Amino acid sequence: MANNHRKKPLKWLDFCIWTVGILVYLFLILPVFVIGLSAFSPKAYPEFPPKEFSLTWFYAVFENPQWMDSLTTSGILLVIVTPLTVILGTMAAYALARLQFRGKEAIQSFVLSPLMIPQIVLGIALLYIFNMMGINGSITALAIGHIIICFPYVVRTVAVSVSNLDPRLELASMNLGANPVQTFFNVTLPLIKPGIIAGAVFSTVTSFGEISISLFVSSPSTVTVPVRTFSYIEQTFDPSVNAISVIFIAISIIALIIIEKTIGLSKVM
Amino acid sequence: MRKSSKKKNQLFHWLLLLPTLLFLGVFLVAPLIFLIVLSFRDVDSMLTVLSTYSFSHYIEVFSSKIYVKTIISTIWMALITTLLCLVLAYPAAYLLVRAPNRKLRALFYIMLVSPLLTSVVIRTFAWIVLLAQNGLINEILIKLNIIGEPLSLLWNMRAVIIAYVQVMLPFAVLPIATSLSDLNPNLRNASMSLGAGRIQSFFKVTLPLTIPGMITGAIIVFSLAAGSYITPLLVGGRMQPILPLSIYQQVMQVFNLPLAAAMSISLLVIVFIFVGILGLVLKRWETRMHG
Amino acid sequence: MSKIKIDQVSRHFDENVALAEVNLEVQEGEFFSLLGPSGCGKSTLLNIIAGFLEPTSGSVYIGGNDVTGLPAYRRNLGMVFQNYALFPHLTVFENVAYGLKIKKLSRNEIKERVTEALSLVQLSSFAERRPHQLSGGQQQRVAIARAIAIQPSVLLLDEPLSNLDAKLRKEMQFELRNIQQRVGITTILVTHDQEEALSLSDRIGILGKGHLQQVGSPLEVYRRPANRFVAEFIGQVNLIKAKKSVSQSEAPEGKVLYEAEEFEAAKNRPLQLEVEAESDSETLFMLRPERIHISFIPLERTVNNAKVQLKEISYIGNALRLNVELGSRELTIHTPDPVFNELPKPGDAFYIYWNSEDIIPLEAGE
Repeated sequence: MANNHRKKPLKWLDFCIWTVGILVYLFLILPVFVIGLSAFSPKAYPEFPPKEFSLTWFYAVFENPQWMDSLTTSGILLVIVTPLTVILGTMAAYALARLQFRGKEAIQSFVLSPLMIPQIVLGIALLYIFNMMGINGSITALAIGHIIICFPYVVRTVAVSVSNLDPRLELASMNLGANPVQTFFNVTLPLIKPGIIAGAVFSTVTSFGEISISLFVSSPSTVTVPVRTFSYIEQTFDPSVNAISVIFIAISIIALIIIEKTIGLSKVM
Repeated sequence: MRKSSKKKNQLFHWLLLLPTLLFLGVFLVAPLIFLIVLSFRDVDSMLTVLSTYSFSHYIEVFSSKIYVKTIISTIWMALITTLLCLVLAYPAAYLLVRAPNRKLRALFYIMLVSPLLTSVVIRTFAWIVLLAQNGLINEILIKLNIIGEPLSLLWNMRAVIIAYVQVMLPFAVLPIATSLSDLNPNLRNASMSLGAGRIQSFFKVTLPLTIPGMITGAIIVFSLAAGSYITPLLVGGRMQPILPLSIYQQVMQVFNLPLAAAMSISLLVIVFIFVGILGLVLKRWETRMHG
Repeated sequence: MSKIKIDQVSRHFDENVALAEVNLEVQEGEFFSLLGPSGCGKSTLLNIIAGFLEPTSGSVYIGGNDVTGLPAYRRNLGMVFQNYALFPHLTVFENVAYGLKIKKLSRNEIKERVTEALSLVQLSSFAERRPHQLSGGQQQRVAIARAIAIQPSVLLLDEPLSNLDAKLRKEMQFELRNIQQRVGITTILVTHDQEEALSLSDRIGILGKGHLQQVGSPLEVYRRPANRFVAEFIGQVNLIKAKKSVSQSEAPEGKVLYEAEEFEAAKNRPLQLEVEAESDSETLFMLRPERIHISFIPLERTVNNAKVQLKEISYIGNALRLNVELGSRELTIHTPDPVFNELPKPGDAFYIYWNSEDIIPLEAGE
């Protein structure tokens, strides 16, 4: 039977592609693996193969007043930034979806532009202007910086939700007598909740992990967790950074799951 | 709908958009304009900013040997990173699209996207743990007796590029995966029915048709690679010839803000030029395909 | 020797049996249609012939050679896909030239063959256009030209016309047959449209649930369906279950009497059938709607006719369709010419009759 000799060349190609692909994915999660090893090892450096399991570094984080201080700062920022980005981003995404005008594409790019500008340029520009305004280093400055970076994510996710929303539902509401404001709150908002939630999650996670701009705009009294992490890495070698890293990674995975359940990852990325 | 209610609607929508536009105008556009203005201001030898304006900083950036070298090596590094990302993205995207079941696909997604939601400090830190003298790789290599002394893997451009590729790969994989999944599956079959083998079909049909995804990925990766400073700082050391690093130093250590501003604007322009070219190529391709 | 031979081909998808031991031979130059409802396995079979799928068991021969192990790109087949699958990034010329370039023909020869193929499908002036600039019908013709340009041994068509509107479809069917006969190439068409299959093919193979139910010329398949599946799939049909009559005394020479209890020919009299040849004692018969004739005067004999009441009447194009009641059961009638001065209304009564050669026995079929 001629059946046999055909299988080999096809399977070989497939095998190669899958091997390379798997290697690429392993390369992608290498850091996670490494950090996991370090964070749960009792020693100050990672051991392979791992010999012991310990939570010392996690305790170290919570016992360290500097880390707790940073957690507080990051927490305060989150509470300020997330609601504002959600409000700003939702309004912008909805308005852009419903408006039709020349140059709409340009405005859409403009709204998403913070994602495309190198963050060091943004950092410096904000540093300069905050210095002029005298607010550099304050929570306000940090909040503004974070909002600029985070709200485009909300715009993106809410835009996806809005595009799935049948505009005739809003027309129906207005035909029944509701004005645009009432329609927005009673009809639109509940239906784009998935996009809003996903956007809020993106914004929270991004703000929590933001460093490139924060480094320029923060001061010794407003040190966020990533900025603290950065200086710890640069100056000392404190293995509790590993524990912090694991916490970050765990947060990102939870965030992922929430985003997937609300709006589906494939649509946003 | 009646004209008056349509107008009311439009007004409402514009009102919704206004806060964002104002916010961006004040905190994005204005700072950048100020930055541009700052880049033209002179500095004296004590680095106090004067009230005169000139091109002196730009001249310095584009004529001094060091900075020119920095610019070139930054562009070069960003290009290599982009290229590596694109090449590696294809097998990863292929697996993502051809995953045989949902669980595997979800797993791939998590592996791709969760790094993006983790702070870049953390992702970079992992490379330090890996590549340091007492880091994981050296530890394993020594244990296996492949080397006697730990290798110096950090503090060079190679480490920066490797870390960059790993950090930015997802940004290349996702658009390419989208392009791949949008492909009409019959196109590959058509190519094969006309006598082209699998590899030939890939290069003649699949690859060209994923150009939009490639360009999108390239745009994102290039701008990120050209504009990042955290990763090179932590993994490459302060001495690496990378423009964002130089900017960081000018701001944080030398305190020469106008020069830093000029460098930043230059960086911005360089990135915009590349992104603009790629964007044009993308537009032309789209017109060719869809009219 | 047949051009294409399919030998005991089966194909399983996990537990699902898509094809079960299909045997088929297609002759050189023949236009053969694979017909069946969706999910019957016809596309699976075509993909196996093309080389995109492997059979779970069995072999495929083309021109006498066993190609079962050969990948698609070595089989020298031309294939036309349902959504045309034209390469959007190439011009019409480049699309048609694609296979020729792979074969590494000279530029002149490529130009010659492409021009020939494009003129065959009457699209010579469209060579520099891109697929998105063409209409559906034009794209389909380019797809055909592209498949033919490589001078394949066989042409495979996977529901190529199902995306076109009805009128365009009819035109393209005609053109397709035309091209096939001009080039003389062995062709297999997969379709679910029985009218298409009947009008274009030399022979038809009807697939149902993974089995080849019948293979034959359009005439054979229509007039003498092998089983109930085929009878119901092709054209419209009336199905009448009947038992052989106990007394055959009244049957003329060579004919057999059957009784269909469920149908009432008249008050308290079951329908009596007179058929040409003997079948099982209990048989399912088929009667085509256009074979039933209408009469307003009572008929002499008591077989192959009935008095009926009209239930529904509707136009189907240039003919009438009538649903008539025989007691609790119904029959469907198609009449091309209106035989009525005035159209009958539901509730009207008249007589229907047919000839004994129009009652066709079916095997039970599965």
